Amino acid sequence: MKHLIFSPLIAAAVAVPFLIFAGVEMWGQVNSSPATPGSPGVTSPNAGPSGASGGPGGRGGRGRGGPIPTGPTPRTADGHPDLSGSWRDDGNAKPHGNLGKDYPGFKLPFTAAGEAAHSYNVEHTIDPESLCLPGGLPREDIGDGGFQLVQSGPDAVFLYMYGTFRDVPIDGRKHTEDPDPTFFGEEVGTWDGDTLVIDSIAFKDQKTWSDENADPHSDQLHIIERWTRSDAGHLHLELIVDDPKFYKEPVHYQRSWVASVGGHTREQACSENNFDVAGGHLGFGPGPIRADGTRGYDNPAPLPPPPSKDNPAKTTLQ
Amino acid sequence: MKYRFGVLTILAVGMAAFVAPVSAHHSFAAEFDGSKAIRLVGKLTKVDWSNPHTYFYLDVKDDRGKVVNWACEGGGPGALSRRGLAKGDLKLGDTIVVDGYRAKDGSNLVDARRVTLPDGRSIYGGTPGDGGPGDNGQ
Repeated sequence: MKHLIFSPLIAAAVAVPFLIFAGVEMWGQVNSSPATPGSPGVTSPNAGPSGASGGPGGRGGRGRGGPIPTGPTPRTADGHPDLSGSWRDDGNAKPHGNLGKDYPGFKLPFTAAGEAAHSYNVEHTIDPESLCLPGGLPREDIGDGGFQLVQSGPDAVFLYMYGTFRDVPIDGRKHTEDPDPTFFGEEVGTWDGDTLVIDSIAFKDQKTWSDENADPHSDQLHIIERWTRSDAGHLHLELIVDDPKFYKEPVHYQRSWVASVGGHTREQACSENNFDVAGGHLGFGPGPIRADGTRGYDNPAPLPPPPSKDNPAKTTLQ
Repeated sequence: MKYRFGVLTILAVGMAAFVAPVSAHHSFAAEFDGSKAIRLVGKLTKVDWSNPHTYFYLDVKDDRGKVVNWACEGGGPGALSRRGLAKGDLKLGDTIVVDGYRAKDGSNLVDARRVTLPDGRSIYGGTPGDGGPGDNGQ
Protein backbone atom coordinates (compact mmCIF):
# COMPACT_ATOMS: atom_id res chain seq x y z
CA MET A 1 0.00 0.00 0.00
CA LYS A 2 2.14 2.82 -1.32
CA HIS A 3 -0.12 5.48 0.04
CA LEU A 4 0.80 4.63 3.58
CA ILE A 5 4.47 5.16 2.94
CA PHE A 6 4.82 8.84 3.64
CA SER A 7 7.79 10.68 2.35
CA PRO A 8 9.60 12.69 5.00
CA LEU A 9 8.22 15.85 3.44
CA ILE A 10 4.65 14.64 3.64
CA ALA A 11 5.11 13.34 7.14
CA ALA A 12 6.50 16.62 8.36
CA ALA A 13 3.91 18.68 6.58
CA VAL A 14 1.06 16.68 8.05
CA ALA A 15 2.30 15.62 11.45
CA VAL A 16 3.56 18.89 12.80
CA PRO A 17 0.35 20.87 12.68
CA PHE A 18 -1.64 17.82 13.70
CA LEU A 19 0.43 16.91 16.71
CA ILE A 20 0.45 20.35 18.20
CA PHE A 21 -3.27 20.71 17.53
CA ALA A 22 -2.50 23.96 15.92
CA GLY A 23 -4.10 25.80 13.12
CA VAL A 24 -2.33 27.03 10.07
CA GLU A 25 -2.50 30.31 8.35
CA MET A 26 -1.41 30.87 4.83
CA TRP A 27 0.62 33.95 4.50
CA GLY A 28 3.47 35.18 2.50
CA GLN A 29 6.40 37.41 3.04
CA VAL A 30 5.97 41.01 4.01
CA ASN A 31 8.23 43.65 2.64
CA SER A 32 8.86 47.07 4.02
CA SER A 33 7.86 49.28 1.15
CA PRO A 34 5.53 52.07 2.18
CA ALA A 35 1.89 51.32 1.80
CA THR A 36 -0.62 53.77 0.50
CA PRO A 37 -3.81 54.69 2.30
CA GLY A 38 -5.73 52.37 0.05
CA SER A 39 -3.58 49.36 0.69
CA PRO A 40 -5.38 46.33 1.98
CA GLY A 41 -5.71 46.20 5.70
CA VAL A 42 -3.99 49.51 6.25
CA THR A 43 -5.73 52.66 7.30
CA SER A 44 -4.40 56.13 7.41
CA PRO A 45 -6.03 58.96 9.32
CA ASN A 46 -7.91 59.88 6.18
CA ALA A 47 -8.57 56.48 4.80
CA GLY A 48 -9.96 54.39 7.60
CA PRO A 49 -12.92 52.08 7.30
CA SER A 50 -15.77 54.32 6.41
CA GLY A 51 -18.42 51.89 7.40
CA ALA A 52 -19.17 51.09 3.81
CA SER A 53 -18.62 47.52 2.79
CA GLY A 54 -15.68 48.39 0.59
CA GLY A 55 -13.29 49.96 3.04
CA PRO A 56 -9.57 49.98 2.51
CA GLY A 57 -8.66 48.09 -0.55
CA GLY A 58 -12.27 47.34 -1.41
CA ARG A 59 -13.77 43.91 -1.64
CA GLY A 60 -12.12 43.34 -4.96
CA GLY A 61 -8.77 43.37 -3.24
CA ARG A 62 -8.89 39.66 -2.62
CA GLY A 63 -6.93 38.89 -5.74
CA ARG A 64 -4.05 41.18 -4.89
CA GLY A 65 -0.65 39.78 -4.24
CA GLY A 66 2.87 39.42 -5.48
CA PRO A 67 3.92 38.61 -9.01
CA ILE A 68 2.32 35.47 -10.36
CA PRO A 69 4.91 32.97 -11.60
CA THR A 70 4.99 32.40 -15.31
CA GLY A 71 6.16 29.44 -17.33
CA PRO A 72 4.93 25.98 -18.13
CA THR A 73 3.20 23.65 -15.73
CA PRO A 74 5.82 21.91 -13.60
CA ARG A 75 5.76 18.13 -13.74
CA THR A 76 6.77 15.31 -11.46
CA ALA A 77 9.20 12.59 -12.43
CA ASP A 78 6.33 10.37 -13.56
CA GLY A 79 5.17 13.04 -16.00
CA HIS A 80 2.04 14.19 -14.20
CA PRO A 81 1.49 17.87 -13.49
CA ASP A 82 2.90 18.90 -10.13
CA LEU A 83 0.19 20.83 -8.30
CA SER A 84 2.44 21.60 -5.33
CA GLY A 85 2.58 25.15 -4.07
CA SER A 86 0.92 27.80 -1.96
CA TRP A 87 -2.27 28.98 -3.58
CA ARG A 88 -4.26 32.13 -2.93
CA ASP A 89 -7.60 33.18 -4.29
CA ASP A 90 -7.43 34.95 -7.65
CA GLY A 91 -10.13 37.44 -6.69
CA ASN A 92 -12.62 36.34 -9.33
CA ALA A 93 -14.82 33.96 -7.39
CA LYS A 94 -17.71 36.30 -6.60
CA PRO A 95 -19.66 36.30 -4.45
CA HIS A 96 -17.05 34.82 -2.20
CA GLY A 97 -17.92 31.86 -0.07
CA ASN A 98 -21.21 31.17 -1.83
CA LEU A 99 -21.82 27.74 -3.37
CA GLY A 100 -24.59 29.27 -5.48
CA LYS A 101 -22.42 32.04 -6.95
CA ASP A 102 -23.14 31.05 -10.55
CA TYR A 103 -26.89 30.54 -10.09
CA PRO A 104 -29.44 33.26 -10.93
CA GLY A 105 -30.05 35.25 -7.79
CA PHE A 106 -27.60 32.89 -6.07
CA LYS A 107 -30.57 30.55 -5.50
CA LEU A 108 -29.51 26.97 -5.01
CA PRO A 109 -31.85 24.20 -6.19
CA PHE A 110 -32.84 22.96 -2.76
CA THR A 111 -35.18 20.05 -2.22
CA ALA A 112 -37.75 20.57 0.51
CA ALA A 113 -35.42 18.80 2.90
CA GLY A 114 -32.53 20.98 1.74
CA GLU A 115 -34.55 24.15 2.29
CA ALA A 116 -35.41 23.00 5.78
CA ALA A 117 -31.79 22.10 6.49
CA HIS A 118 -30.65 25.53 5.33
CA SER A 119 -33.17 27.25 7.58
CA TYR A 120 -32.06 25.11 10.47
CA ASN A 121 -28.42 26.01 9.88
CA VAL A 122 -29.24 29.71 9.77
CA GLU A 123 -31.50 29.72 12.80
CA HIS A 124 -30.07 27.07 15.08
CA THR A 125 -26.41 26.33 14.39
CA ILE A 126 -23.21 28.15 15.23
CA ASP A 127 -20.73 28.27 12.39
CA PRO A 128 -19.00 24.87 12.68
CA GLU A 129 -15.61 26.39 11.89
CA SER A 130 -16.05 28.63 14.93
CA LEU A 131 -16.47 25.47 16.95
CA CYS A 132 -13.07 24.44 15.60
CA LEU A 133 -14.47 21.65 13.45
CA PRO A 134 -12.73 21.14 10.10
CA GLY A 135 -14.32 23.05 7.27
CA GLY A 136 -14.48 19.83 5.27
CA LEU A 137 -15.82 19.57 1.76
CA PRO A 138 -17.06 21.44 -0.12
CA ARG A 139 -16.48 24.43 2.18
CA GLU A 140 -12.69 24.37 2.01
CA ASP A 141 -13.01 24.65 -1.78
CA ILE A 142 -15.42 27.57 -1.55
CA GLY A 143 -14.25 29.71 1.36
CA ASP A 144 -11.83 32.59 1.29
CA GLY A 145 -8.78 30.81 2.54
CA GLY A 146 -5.91 29.78 0.42
CA PHE A 147 -4.07 26.55 1.00
CA GLN A 148 -0.80 24.79 0.49
CA LEU A 149 -0.69 21.67 -1.63
CA VAL A 150 2.11 19.16 -1.27
CA GLN A 151 2.10 16.51 -3.98
CA SER A 152 4.49 13.65 -3.46
CA GLY A 153 4.27 10.26 -5.10
CA PRO A 154 0.88 8.74 -4.31
CA ASP A 155 -0.20 11.60 -2.03
CA ALA A 156 -1.71 15.02 -2.54
CA VAL A 157 -1.82 16.78 0.82
CA PHE A 158 -3.86 19.93 1.24
CA LEU A 159 -2.92 22.15 4.22
CA TYR A 160 -5.51 24.65 5.38
CA MET A 161 -6.00 27.13 8.21
CA TYR A 162 -6.59 26.05 11.79
CA GLY A 163 -4.59 22.84 11.53
CA THR A 164 -6.93 21.31 8.99
CA PHE A 165 -5.47 19.02 6.35
CA ARG A 166 -6.49 16.26 4.01
CA ASP A 167 -4.25 13.61 2.52
CA VAL A 168 -5.67 12.34 -0.74
CA PRO A 169 -4.35 9.12 -2.26
CA ILE A 170 -3.90 9.80 -5.97
CA ASP A 171 -2.88 6.30 -7.04
CA GLY A 172 -6.13 5.41 -8.75
CA ARG A 173 -7.54 3.24 -5.98
CA LYS A 174 -11.27 2.60 -5.62
CA HIS A 175 -13.56 3.47 -2.73
CA THR A 176 -13.73 0.98 0.09
CA GLU A 177 -16.81 -1.08 0.86
CA ASP A 178 -18.10 0.78 3.92
CA PRO A 179 -15.98 3.86 4.63
CA ASP A 180 -16.23 5.70 7.92
CA PRO A 181 -17.90 9.11 7.57
CA THR A 182 -15.49 12.03 7.88
CA PHE A 183 -15.56 15.78 7.26
CA PHE A 184 -13.68 15.47 3.97
CA GLY A 185 -15.17 12.09 3.13
CA GLU A 186 -13.33 9.13 1.73
CA GLU A 187 -11.26 10.67 -1.05
CA VAL A 188 -9.73 8.80 -3.96
CA GLY A 189 -7.75 10.49 -6.70
CA THR A 190 -6.74 9.60 -10.21
CA TRP A 191 -5.42 11.37 -13.28
CA ASP A 192 -7.57 12.15 -16.30
CA GLY A 193 -4.88 13.36 -18.66
CA ASP A 194 -3.41 16.41 -16.95
CA THR A 195 -6.37 16.83 -14.60
CA LEU A 196 -6.35 15.40 -11.09
CA VAL A 197 -9.82 14.02 -10.31
CA ILE A 198 -10.74 13.52 -6.66
CA ASP A 199 -13.92 11.61 -5.90
CA SER A 200 -15.22 11.81 -2.33
CA ILE A 201 -18.04 10.00 -0.53
CA ALA A 202 -18.93 9.13 3.07
CA PHE A 203 -19.41 12.48 4.80
CA LYS A 204 -20.60 13.24 8.27
CA ASP A 205 -24.26 14.14 8.33
CA GLN A 206 -24.98 17.88 8.50
CA LYS A 207 -22.24 18.67 11.01
CA THR A 208 -20.56 21.16 8.68
CA TRP A 209 -21.78 23.82 6.29
CA SER A 210 -21.22 23.60 2.54
CA ASP A 211 -20.10 27.20 2.37
CA GLU A 212 -19.76 30.46 4.32
CA ASN A 213 -23.50 31.17 4.00
CA ALA A 214 -24.66 28.09 5.92
CA ASP A 215 -25.84 26.18 2.87
CA PRO A 216 -26.26 22.57 3.97
CA HIS A 217 -25.11 19.14 2.92
CA SER A 218 -26.27 15.71 3.96
CA ASP A 219 -24.63 12.34 4.41
CA GLN A 220 -25.56 11.59 0.80
CA LEU A 221 -23.01 14.13 -0.39
CA HIS A 222 -20.81 13.06 -3.29
CA ILE A 223 -18.05 15.46 -4.37
CA ILE A 224 -16.12 15.39 -7.61
CA GLU A 225 -13.18 17.79 -7.91
CA ARG A 226 -11.24 18.29 -11.12
CA TRP A 227 -7.95 20.14 -10.47
CA THR A 228 -5.94 21.54 -13.38
CA ARG A 229 -2.71 23.54 -13.27
CA SER A 230 -2.73 25.30 -16.61
CA ASP A 231 0.71 26.87 -16.11
CA ALA A 232 3.17 27.66 -13.34
CA GLY A 233 0.98 30.31 -11.77
CA HIS A 234 -2.62 29.12 -12.03
CA LEU A 235 -4.67 26.33 -10.48
CA HIS A 236 -8.28 25.76 -11.51
CA LEU A 237 -11.05 23.73 -9.89
CA GLU A 238 -14.21 22.37 -11.46
CA LEU A 239 -16.40 21.15 -8.62
CA ILE A 240 -19.57 19.07 -8.64
CA VAL A 241 -21.60 18.86 -5.44
CA ASP A 242 -24.06 16.02 -5.80
CA ASP A 243 -26.40 15.66 -2.84
CA PRO A 244 -29.80 14.35 -3.95
CA LYS A 245 -31.21 14.55 -0.44
CA PHE A 246 -30.77 18.33 -0.25
CA TYR A 247 -30.35 19.46 -3.89
CA LYS A 248 -32.60 18.72 -6.87
CA GLU A 249 -29.63 18.54 -9.22
CA PRO A 250 -25.85 18.36 -8.98
CA VAL A 251 -24.49 21.83 -8.18
CA HIS A 252 -21.62 23.03 -10.34
CA TYR A 253 -19.04 25.46 -9.02
CA GLN A 254 -15.70 26.64 -10.38
CA ARG A 255 -12.93 28.96 -9.26
CA SER A 256 -9.21 29.52 -9.61
CA TRP A 257 -6.22 30.25 -7.42
CA VAL A 258 -2.86 31.80 -8.23
CA ALA A 259 0.53 30.74 -6.92
CA SER A 260 1.75 32.65 -3.88
CA VAL A 261 5.51 32.63 -4.04
CA GLY A 262 7.03 32.38 -0.60
CA GLY A 263 3.74 31.51 1.04
CA HIS A 264 3.77 28.76 3.59
CA THR A 265 1.64 27.26 6.29
CA ARG A 266 1.83 28.71 9.76
CA GLU A 267 0.46 27.79 13.13
CA GLN A 268 -2.98 29.15 13.94
CA ALA A 269 -4.65 27.36 16.82
CA CYS A 270 -8.42 27.60 16.60
CA SER A 271 -9.00 26.54 20.17
CA GLU A 272 -6.33 28.71 21.79
CA ASN A 273 -8.68 31.50 22.85
CA ASN A 274 -12.11 30.85 21.38
CA PHE A 275 -13.67 33.68 23.36
CA ASP A 276 -16.61 34.16 20.98
CA VAL A 277 -17.94 30.67 21.55
CA ALA A 278 -16.77 30.16 25.12
CA GLY A 279 -18.26 33.48 26.13
CA GLY A 280 -21.54 32.79 24.37
CA HIS A 281 -21.21 35.87 22.18
CA LEU A 282 -21.55 34.23 18.77
CA GLY A 283 -25.02 33.97 17.31
CA PHE A 284 -26.54 31.34 15.05
CA GLY A 285 -25.97 31.21 11.32
CA PRO A 286 -23.89 33.56 9.22
CA GLY A 287 -25.98 36.64 9.98
CA PRO A 288 -27.57 38.64 7.19
CA ILE A 289 -26.62 37.92 3.59
CA ARG A 290 -26.18 40.94 1.34
CA ALA A 291 -27.95 41.39 -1.95
CA ASP A 292 -24.64 40.61 -3.66
CA GLY A 293 -24.62 37.13 -2.10
CA THR A 294 -21.92 37.74 0.50
CA ARG A 295 -22.40 37.61 4.24
CA GLY A 296 -22.63 40.91 6.07
CA TYR A 297 -24.65 44.11 6.38
CA ASP A 298 -25.61 46.08 3.30
CA ASN A 299 -25.49 49.47 5.03
CA PRO A 300 -23.57 49.39 8.30
CA ALA A 301 -23.40 52.55 10.35
CA PRO A 302 -20.32 54.60 9.49
CA LEU A 303 -17.49 54.81 11.95
CA PRO A 304 -16.54 58.24 13.28
CA PRO A 305 -13.77 59.99 11.37
CA PRO A 306 -10.29 59.14 12.60
CA PRO A 307 -9.08 61.38 15.42
CA SER A 308 -7.25 64.55 14.53
CA LYS A 309 -6.36 67.93 16.05
CA ASP A 310 -9.72 69.27 15.02
CA ASN A 311 -11.51 66.09 15.97
CA PRO A 312 -10.09 64.83 19.26
CA ALA A 313 -11.10 61.35 20.22
CA LYS A 314 -13.96 61.02 22.66
CA THR A 315 -15.82 57.92 23.74
CA THR A 316 -19.23 57.61 22.12
CA LEU A 317 -21.31 54.83 23.59
CA GLN A 318 -24.57 53.61 22.07
CA MET B 1 -3.44 62.97 25.85
CA LYS B 2 -0.56 61.22 24.19
CA TYR B 3 -1.79 61.28 20.62
CA ARG B 4 0.42 63.00 18.14
CA PHE B 5 -1.98 64.65 15.78
CA GLY B 6 -0.80 66.18 12.59
CA VAL B 7 1.18 64.10 10.22
CA LEU B 8 0.37 60.54 11.12
CA THR B 9 2.38 57.60 10.07
CA ILE B 10 1.10 55.41 7.32
CA LEU B 11 2.09 51.87 8.06
CA ALA B 12 5.11 50.64 6.22
CA VAL B 13 3.76 47.31 5.29
CA GLY B 14 4.11 45.96 1.81
CA MET B 15 0.77 44.22 1.75
CA ALA B 16 0.53 44.59 -1.97
CA ALA B 17 3.60 42.50 -2.51
CA PHE B 18 2.73 39.24 -0.78
CA VAL B 19 -0.75 38.65 0.40
CA ALA B 20 -1.91 36.11 2.89
CA PRO B 21 -5.16 34.50 1.90
CA VAL B 22 -7.05 33.70 5.03
CA SER B 23 -10.52 32.71 5.98
CA ALA B 24 -12.56 34.21 8.77
CA HIS B 25 -13.32 32.17 11.80
CA HIS B 26 -16.91 33.41 11.66
CA SER B 27 -19.01 36.08 10.04
CA PHE B 28 -18.85 39.58 11.50
CA ALA B 29 -22.62 39.78 11.20
CA ALA B 30 -23.13 36.63 13.27
CA GLU B 31 -21.78 38.39 16.33
CA PHE B 32 -21.72 42.14 15.87
CA ASP B 33 -24.37 44.76 15.18
CA GLY B 34 -23.62 46.80 12.07
CA SER B 35 -25.97 49.55 13.22
CA LYS B 36 -24.10 50.16 16.47
CA ALA B 37 -20.89 51.95 15.65
CA ILE B 38 -18.95 52.94 18.71
CA ARG B 39 -15.79 54.81 19.66
CA LEU B 40 -13.91 53.84 22.79
CA VAL B 41 -11.09 55.88 24.27
CA GLY B 42 -9.45 54.16 27.18
CA LYS B 43 -6.40 52.81 28.91
CA LEU B 44 -5.07 49.44 27.85
CA THR B 45 -5.37 46.93 30.70
CA LYS B 46 -4.73 43.55 29.03
CA VAL B 47 -3.67 42.07 25.71
CA ASP B 48 -4.44 38.53 24.48
CA TRP B 49 -2.23 38.10 21.42
CA SER B 50 -4.01 34.91 20.48
CA ASN B 51 -5.86 32.91 17.84
CA PRO B 52 -8.38 32.84 16.36
CA HIS B 53 -8.63 36.50 17.43
CA THR B 54 -6.60 38.96 19.38
CA TYR B 55 -8.28 40.73 22.28
CA PHE B 56 -7.26 43.86 24.02
CA TYR B 57 -9.06 45.32 26.97
CA LEU B 58 -9.66 48.99 27.73
CA ASP B 59 -10.77 50.83 30.84
CA VAL B 60 -13.22 53.38 29.49
CA LYS B 61 -14.96 56.19 31.37
CA ASP B 62 -18.62 56.67 30.57
CA ASP B 63 -20.45 60.01 30.63
CA ARG B 64 -20.87 59.82 34.39
CA GLY B 65 -17.23 59.07 35.03
CA LYS B 66 -17.73 55.40 35.78
CA VAL B 67 -14.91 53.21 34.51
CA VAL B 68 -15.99 50.13 32.57
CA ASN B 69 -13.69 47.51 31.07
CA TRP B 70 -14.33 46.69 27.40
CA ALA B 71 -13.07 43.75 25.35
CA CYS B 72 -12.00 44.64 21.82
CA GLU B 73 -11.76 41.84 19.26
CA GLY B 74 -9.33 42.08 16.38
CA GLY B 75 -7.96 39.86 13.66
CA GLY B 76 -5.52 37.12 14.59
CA PRO B 77 -1.87 37.91 15.30
CA GLY B 78 -0.89 36.98 11.75
CA ALA B 79 -3.30 39.42 10.16
CA LEU B 80 -2.42 42.28 12.50
CA SER B 81 1.30 41.67 12.13
CA ARG B 82 1.00 41.83 8.37
CA ARG B 83 -0.62 45.23 8.74
CA GLY B 84 2.26 46.45 10.83
CA LEU B 85 0.76 46.13 14.30
CA ALA B 86 3.23 44.28 16.50
CA LYS B 87 2.42 42.90 19.91
CA GLY B 88 4.93 45.35 21.35
CA ASP B 89 2.94 48.27 19.99
CA LEU B 90 0.28 47.60 22.60
CA LYS B 91 1.60 48.76 25.96
CA LEU B 92 -0.43 48.43 29.11
CA GLY B 93 -1.46 51.85 30.38
CA ASP B 94 -1.40 53.48 26.95
CA THR B 95 -4.48 55.34 25.82
CA ILE B 96 -5.96 53.69 22.72
CA VAL B 97 -8.80 54.72 20.45
CA VAL B 98 -10.97 51.91 19.10
CA ASP B 99 -13.61 52.47 16.45
CA GLY B 100 -15.84 49.49 15.90
CA TYR B 101 -19.19 47.84 16.44
CA ARG B 102 -20.89 46.47 19.52
CA ALA B 103 -21.71 42.81 20.03
CA LYS B 104 -25.32 41.87 19.37
CA ASP B 105 -25.65 40.38 22.85
CA GLY B 106 -25.18 43.79 24.44
CA SER B 107 -22.05 42.80 26.34
CA ASN B 108 -19.03 45.08 26.64
CA LEU B 109 -17.46 43.54 23.56
CA VAL B 110 -16.69 45.38 20.33
CA ASP B 111 -15.24 44.38 17.02
CA ALA B 112 -12.28 46.71 16.55
CA ARG B 113 -12.33 47.81 12.91
CA ARG B 114 -9.90 50.68 13.47
CA VAL B 115 -7.31 51.03 16.20
CA THR B 116 -5.48 54.31 16.74
CA LEU B 117 -2.30 54.09 18.77
CA PRO B 118 -0.69 56.81 20.91
CA ASP B 119 1.82 57.47 18.12
CA GLY B 120 -1.04 58.35 15.80
CA ARG B 121 -1.00 55.27 13.65
CA SER B 122 -4.40 53.96 12.64
CA ILE B 123 -4.56 50.27 11.83
CA TYR B 124 -7.34 48.27 10.29
CA GLY B 125 -8.25 45.69 12.92
CA GLY B 126 -10.89 43.54 11.26
CA THR B 127 -10.65 39.81 10.73
CA PRO B 128 -9.87 38.94 7.10
CA GLY B 129 -12.83 37.51 5.26
CA ASP B 130 -15.42 38.19 7.97
CA GLY B 131 -17.62 40.30 5.70
CA GLY B 132 -17.56 43.21 8.13
CA PRO B 133 -17.10 46.88 7.25
CA GLY B 134 -13.78 47.41 5.51
CA ASP B 135 -13.14 43.72 4.91
CA ASN B 136 -11.37 42.91 1.70
CA GLY B 137 -10.35 39.39 2.61
CA GLN B 138 -6.83 40.31 3.67
